[in-house]
Amino acid sequence: MTGPQPCFEARLARACRLLLAAAIVVVASGCAQMVPQTVALRTGWPAGVPQSHQVDGVPFFPQDEYQCGPAALATVLAFTGVPVTPEPLVSQVYVPARRGSLQLEMLAAARRHGRVSYVLAPRYGDLLREVAAGNPVLVLQDVGALAQQWHYAVVNGFDYPSGTVYLRSGTVAKLEMPFTAFERSWMKSGYWAMVVTPPDRIPATATEDAWVNAVLGLARVGTQEQVTTAFATALERWPENLAAAVGLANQFHARGSLARATEVLREARRRHPGSAIVANNLAQVLSEQGQQREALTLIEQAASDPSNPFASEIRSTREAIVERIKRGGATPR
Amino acid sequence: MNLKKVTCRGLVVSMLALSFQTAGAGMIGADQAAPGTAQTDRAMVLETLARADTSSQLQAMGVDPRQARDRVAAMSDQEVTQLAADIRQAPAGADGGTVLAVLVIAAAIWYFAFRR
Repeated sequence: MTGPQPCFEARLARACRLLLAAAIVVVASGCAQMVPQTVALRTGWPAGVPQSHQVDGVPFFPQDEYQCGPAALATVLAFTGVPVTPEPLVSQVYVPARRGSLQLEMLAAARRHGRVSYVLAPRYGDLLREVAAGNPVLVLQDVGALAQQWHYAVVNGFDYPSGTVYLRSGTVAKLEMPFTAFERSWMKSGYWAMVVTPPDRIPATATEDAWVNAVLGLARVGTQEQVTTAFATALERWPENLAAAVGLANQFHARGSLARATEVLREARRRHPGSAIVANNLAQVLSEQGQQREALTLIEQAASDPSNPFASEIRSTREAIVERIKRGGATPR
Repeated sequence: MNLKKVTCRGLVVSMLALSFQTAGAGMIGADQAAPGTAQTDRAMVLETLARADTSSQLQAMGVDPRQARDRVAAMSDQEVTQLAADIRQAPAGADGGTVLAVLVIAAAIWYFAFRR
C-alpha cells in the first residue's frame, strides 16, 4: 500500500506548486493593474525623454488649508513669468461650498493671466515628456488615506533610476514620491494633468486640434496681443489649420491691420477654397478696403451654396457690400 | 429675494452681451472654424443659458457674483456646459480633509482600545 503514497505526495506537491504559481500570477497581474502605466514604462520608456530631469526655477508657495488649487496654479503661472501669488487666485478658482477648486476653473483662471492652459493626454509618458521639455505639470491626485481626498500638486522633476517623482505639494517644497505611489494617487483623477504656457510656446505633447481649442479658450479673455501671438504661433506650426488662420485674421482686423488680415485670409483661401468662413471674412476685409468688385464676386460665390451653416452671416455681409457699392457710386473698383 | 432676482436678470443680460463678442462686425469668429464647434443659433442660446446657470450655481456655492461671472467668462462653451452638468460632483482639489482622517482614526482607536 505504499504505491499510491508517493504518487499522492507528488500530486499534492505539484498542486501546491501550481497554486503558488497561480497566486504569483494573480498578485503580479494585480500589481500591474494597480499601476498599469508604471509597469508599461518598464518596457516602453517614451522615446527621446531622458531618464532623469528636474525643471529649475519652479517657485514654491506653501498652501493654506484647502488652498492647494490656488497654490498649485500660482506655482505654474509664476514659473511662466506671471507675477502672481496664491491669494488673488483664491477668488478666481476656490469654491467655498466645495472647499476646493474645480479642474475646469483651474484651466479658465490661467487664461485670465494671459496663459494658454492645456490638458495633457492621460499618459505617464506625456507627463514625463512635458517635464523633460521644461514645463512643470499641474496634476490632480487623490491623496486620501481613508476617504477620497482631492489634491492639486505640481510635478517638477523625476528620476527613473531611483523611481522618484518630485513634486511641489501642499506645504512640502520637494515631495518625493515613488513612480508607483504617484500613479496610484494620480490615476483616480483619470490621470488629469495640465500645463500652462505663454502664447508663443506650444507644449511638447500638444496635438493640433486640442491646442487650437486651448488657444480659442485664451481668445475669450486674453489681450489682443496675447491672442494674436497665440494664433500666429499655432498657424506657424500647423499652417493648414483653419481656425488659427481665421483667428489670426480676425485679430488683425480688430486692430485695423486690414492688409495683414487680407494676407492671412488669402493664404487661408488658397488652402481652404471651400471654406465659407474664409470667403465671408475675406470679402468683408476687401470691402472695407474699398475693393468692392472682388468682395462681391467672393461673397456671391459663397452665397450660392444653400447648405452652408453661415447663410445668414453671408447674406448680411453681401447686403453690406451692395450697400457700399450703391453709396460709392456705380463704379466699384 | 428681490435683490437676488434683479442680480440674476442683470447677469443673464450681461451673459448675453458677453457671448456675442466673438468677432468684429461682418467677420465670422474663429471658434466657428474649429472642428466640432460650429454653432447653430439654438446651441448658442442653450450655451448662453448654461453660462447663466453655471454662474448662478457658483454663486449659490459661495462665490462672489461678479467673480462668478468673470470666472465663467473665461471658459469655453463646452467647458461651461460640462461644469453646469457636474459642478457638485466634479473633484474639487482641496487637501483639507486630513483633519477628518485624523479624527476618524482617533475615534477608532478610542473605540477599540477603551470601549471593549
